[in-house]
Amino acid sequence: MLLGIDVGGTHTDAVLLDTDGLVDSAKVVTNHEDLLSSIRAALEAILKDRGSIDLERFNLSTTLCTNAIVQDELVDVGVLVSAGPGIDPGFYRIGRNYAVIPGGLDHRGTEVRPLDRERAGQAVDDFLDQGLRVFAVVNKFSPRNPSHEKQLAELLEGRSEFMTLGHSLSGQLNFPRRIATAYYNSAVWPIFNGFANSVQQCLEELGLSPQLNILKADGGTMPFEQARLTPVESIFSGPAASIMGITAMCDISEDALLLDIGGTTTDVAVFADGDPLIEAESIELDHRPTLVRAMKTKSIGLGGDSCLTVQDGQLGIGPKRLGACLAQGGPAPTLVDALNSAKCFAYGDTDASDKGMEDLGGRLGLSCEGMSWQVIQAFCRRIKEDAWEMLREINERPVYTVHEFLEYRKVAPKRIYLMGGPAEVLAPYISREFGLPAVVPDNFAVANALGAAVARPTHQAELFADTEKRTMSIPVLEIFREVPASYTLDQAKEEVKGHLREHMAEKYHMTIPDEEAQIIEESEMSMVKDIYAVGKDIRVKCQVKPGITPEYQRVVKCLCKEL
Amino acid sequence: MSVQRALNSLGVVFFPAFDWAITPTHPERQERLLYTMDQLKEEGVFDIPGITEHKPDVATLDDIRRTHFCFPDTGSNLTSSHLISAGGAIKAGKLVMQGSEDKAFALVRPPGHHAMKVVHGGRGFCNVNIEAIMVEYLREFHGVGRVAIVDTDCHHGDGTQDIYWHDPETLYISLHQDGRTLFPGSGFPGEIGGPKARGRTINIPLPPNTSDEGFLAVMDNVVVPVLEHFKPDLIVNSAGQDNHFTDPITNMRFSAQGYAALNTRLNPDIAVLEGGYSIQGALPYVNLGIVLAMAGLDYSHVKEPDYDPARLRQEQRISDYVKRISEVGLKNYFTPPHSEVSQDKQDGYFVRSKEVFYDTAFITERQREFLLDCNHCPGLLKIETSSSKIRNCLALEIPRGACERCLQEGERLFEESKSNERFSNIQLINRPVGGTQRYRTDHHGQ
Repeated sequence: MLLGIDVGGTHTDAVLLDTDGLVDSAKVVTNHEDLLSSIRAALEAILKDRGSIDLERFNLSTTLCTNAIVQDELVDVGVLVSAGPGIDPGFYRIGRNYAVIPGGLDHRGTEVRPLDRERAGQAVDDFLDQGLRVFAVVNKFSPRNPSHEKQLAELLEGRSEFMTLGHSLSGQLNFPRRIATAYYNSAVWPIFNGFANSVQQCLEELGLSPQLNILKADGGTMPFEQARLTPVESIFSGPAASIMGITAMCDISEDALLLDIGGTTTDVAVFADGDPLIEAESIELDHRPTLVRAMKTKSIGLGGDSCLTVQDGQLGIGPKRLGACLAQGGPAPTLVDALNSAKCFAYGDTDASDKGMEDLGGRLGLSCEGMSWQVIQAFCRRIKEDAWEMLREINERPVYTVHEFLEYRKVAPKRIYLMGGPAEVLAPYISREFGLPAVVPDNFAVANALGAAVARPTHQAELFADTEKRTMSIPVLEIFREVPASYTLDQAKEEVKGHLREHMAEKYHMTIPDEEAQIIEESEMSMVKDIYAVGKDIRVKCQVKPGITPEYQRVVKCLCKEL
Repeated sequence: MSVQRALNSLGVVFFPAFDWAITPTHPERQERLLYTMDQLKEEGVFDIPGITEHKPDVATLDDIRRTHFCFPDTGSNLTSSHLISAGGAIKAGKLVMQGSEDKAFALVRPPGHHAMKVVHGGRGFCNVNIEAIMVEYLREFHGVGRVAIVDTDCHHGDGTQDIYWHDPETLYISLHQDGRTLFPGSGFPGEIGGPKARGRTINIPLPPNTSDEGFLAVMDNVVVPVLEHFKPDLIVNSAGQDNHFTDPITNMRFSAQGYAALNTRLNPDIAVLEGGYSIQGALPYVNLGIVLAMAGLDYSHVKEPDYDPARLRQEQRISDYVKRISEVGLKNYFTPPHSEVSQDKQDGYFVRSKEVFYDTAFITERQREFLLDCNHCPGLLKIETSSSKIRNCLALEIPRGACERCLQEGERLFEESKSNERFSNIQLINRPVGGTQRYRTDHHGQ
C-alpha cells in the first residue's frame, strides 16, 4: 500500500491507497509548532481500526523547510565563494558569514586565477572559531569545473557537520542562484535532518517500515537519504502535490489549465501535452531566486473568501480577506455570498448573504441578484485575464535558434480543471468566460495527499562536453571524466541517460525505462580557432519527468468524474 | 552590500541564432554568442531586478523595404535569421518607445551596419541594416524624429553612413580603425554627409592600437558635445565589440572596462550588437559590461582575465593623433566645410557615382545617385543601379517632409519608369504617404 501525507498551511491530509484504489483518507489540523505531531495524528487516524498494514511506501510533502526559511529559523552558515571576472560577488552576500576567496574560472571552466588557499584556510579557521558547523561552498562556473569548490571542501573535511557544494545542486549556470540555493540547503539541514530522524522513529514506533520519500517542488519525490543531502528541494511541495493529484485523477493528455480556488488565492498551473510545466529557475526565497526546480504556478490574489468592496462606484474583489463570508457569520461579503444570492447554491446563512449583497448592490444601483452576478462575472474575468497573462509570458519565452523560433509551439489550453471549495459551483461560469470546457474532479479535496502518495521520483542532469579540452562532466552526478576528441552528441545523449538511470536505480531505488529518461535539450556547436574547427561544445539536458507510479495510475483515474 | 537593482530598467533582446552561420568556420558563426550566453546566465543578469530578457519580433519584408532597395527582390537577399535579427532590433526600439523599458540592448546576430541603402547581396557579414530598419520602423509607427547613431564597431559602418548620407534628421557618428588599415577602407574625416546633410555624418578614424584612453577622449571631446547640440529624440549605439584588444581581425586595444565606460558616457537609449569576433576572450565580458553600464549598475569587476591596463596603454603619439582627429570631427559637425562635399550637378540633381563590392556575396555593383536640389525639403532621391547579378534597377525615395514638387516628381518618375522599360526592377519608398511600391518588368533584364 501507499501512504501519502501533505502537511499544509491549515490542514494535514493523508490518504492510503492500494492497487484497487483509495482505501482511506484523513484530515487533521496542522500544528505549526510541532509538525511531527500533525503527521503522527494523521497516521494514527489512518491506522485506527486497521491494526497493522503492509505499507510499501510513504511519501511526505511538508512545509518544514519552507516555514524554517519564512520564519527565519535557520542556522548560521559559513558561506565561501570565489568568483573570477564579472559582477562583484559581494553583491550576493547572504547570511551573516560570507567570505569571498580570491580565485577564478572562466566560462569554459579554465582556471584564470588559482584559488588563494591561504586566504581560504584563514576564512575557514575564522568560521570554525565562530562556532559554525555547516557550510556552503560556491564558485562561479563550478558546473564547468568544480576544482575550486573541491579544494575548499578539502579544507573543511572532517571539520564540518554538513556542507553543500554548489555544483552538486544543478548543472544550470547561475552563480547568484547557486549561492542562495547552497546557502538555504545548508541553513535548513539541521532542522530537516532532525525532523527526518523523528519521522523515521515515529514510523518504527507504529510498527511501519516503508520506503520513505519526500515530495519536491517539481512534483517528484526523493528518498529520505537523498533529502538529507538536498533538503532545500523539499520547499514549496504543497502546490506540486495538488497538481500531481489532479494529474493522477484526470486523464490529461492535452494543453490545459488547472485552477485551484482557495480562500484568498487562486493558483494556476499549466499543462502542455498533459505534462505539468516545470521551471528550472523559479522559486524565490526571501527575494533570493534559487535553482530549485518547481512546477510553474501563478498565484492570483482572488479566492472564495476575498472580501467584496465598492469604492468610487467600482466593484473590488480582494486581495484582502477580512474573515469568513457573511453566510458563515463573517464581517464582509465574499464571492461565496454572491454565489448564494445568485442561487447557485445555498450555503450557511443565505439571508445574511442576501442582505450583504443587497447593501453592496445598493451602492451601485443594482439589485441583490444583479450585484451577485456581476461579482461572479468579475471574478471569472479576473481569473481569465491573469491566466492568459501567464500563458502569454510562457509563450513569449526566448528561444535561441532560428529553428525553434520558426517552429515554436505555443501552449493553448483546451480544457480547464478546477479544484477548491467553490470549484463545482463556479465551473459553468469559468467555462463560459474562458470559452473552454471545465472539469471538476471528484475527490479534489484529497488531491494533495493523493498526489504525494502516487508521485514518482524525478531528477535532472546536465551534461557538458568540451572536445577541445577532452573533458565531459555531469556535475549533479559527480561525473567528471576525459573524453576523446571524437566524442559525439549521440554518445553524450546515451551517456547522460545511462548515468541518470544508474543513479536512480542506486539512490532512488527505481528502475527507469530507457524512454523515460528524456533528453529535453541538446546542442552541439563547433568551436573554431582562427579559421579551423578545434573541437565541439556539446550540451545535453536529461530529465526523469514527474509522473504517477504506474501500478496506481489506473486505480486513481476512476476517481475523476467529468461534469 | 546587497543585491543590486537596475537604475534604468533594461530590456535585453537576446537572439544568438545558434543554428545559423555564413559558413561553419566564418567569424560570424553559430558559436559567436555562446560564451556570452554562458556569462550572462552564470552572472544571473536576468534575475537582477530591472533587467528583463525579451524574445525578438520577426521583421516583415515591408519593414525591410521601408529602409532598403533590395534587388532583384527583397526576400532573396536575406534569410529568416536576418528577419529575426532585424526583428530583435525593432523589438528593442519598441520596448523603449512604448515605455516598457528605459533602455534596450538588442544582443542579436547576424549584424547589419555594412548593408547600404541598395542591397544586391551580403557585404561585410551583413545583408540588411538592422539599426536602420529599427529606426525607420520607429519613425513610421512611433513618431520618432531626430536620431543619433553612434557606431562603435571597429569597422567603419559604411552601410549606415550610406543610408543616412542625405538625411539631415539622422546624425551618424562612427569611431573606427582607420580605413587605410582595415575593411571596408572608408570612413575618412572628409566624409561628412551629402550636400543637404552636411555635418550629419562624422567620421573619427582612429589609429591601430588606440586604447580606452583614446576612445573615451573622443567620447568626451566630440560625441558628447555634438549630441548635446544635436538633441536627438533617440540615441542608438551600433555596438560592435571588435575594438577589443583580443579581437582576431582588428588591431585595437579597447577593453570591457572601456566599452562599459563608453556606454555610461554615451547613455544610449538603445544598443544593437554589431561586430566582435573574439568570442571567448572579449564578448562575454564586453557584453556584460555594456548590459551593466546601460542598467546603471556597478561594472568595476568586469575585467577580462588577461586585462592589464599598463600593457594596453596607448603611445603618446596616438593620444596626440586622437586629439587632432577629434578637433577635425568637432569642426566637421559645427562648421562643416563646403569644400568636402561634391556639388556636381546635372539637370537640377546632385549626382554621384560609386562602385560597391559585396565581399560576402562576390558581387560588384555600379550606382548613379541623383538627389534633387530642392530648397524646400531634403530632396527626392533617385538611384540607378546595376550589378553583376542584375542590371538596370531603379530606386526612388521621397523623403520624410518632402515638398509637393518632390512628392509629385517621385510618383511621376515611378509611373513613367514603369512604362518605358528602361528598368528591370523599380522600387519607390514614399515616406510622406507611407509604404513602398515595387514594379518588375519580367521580360526585361536577367
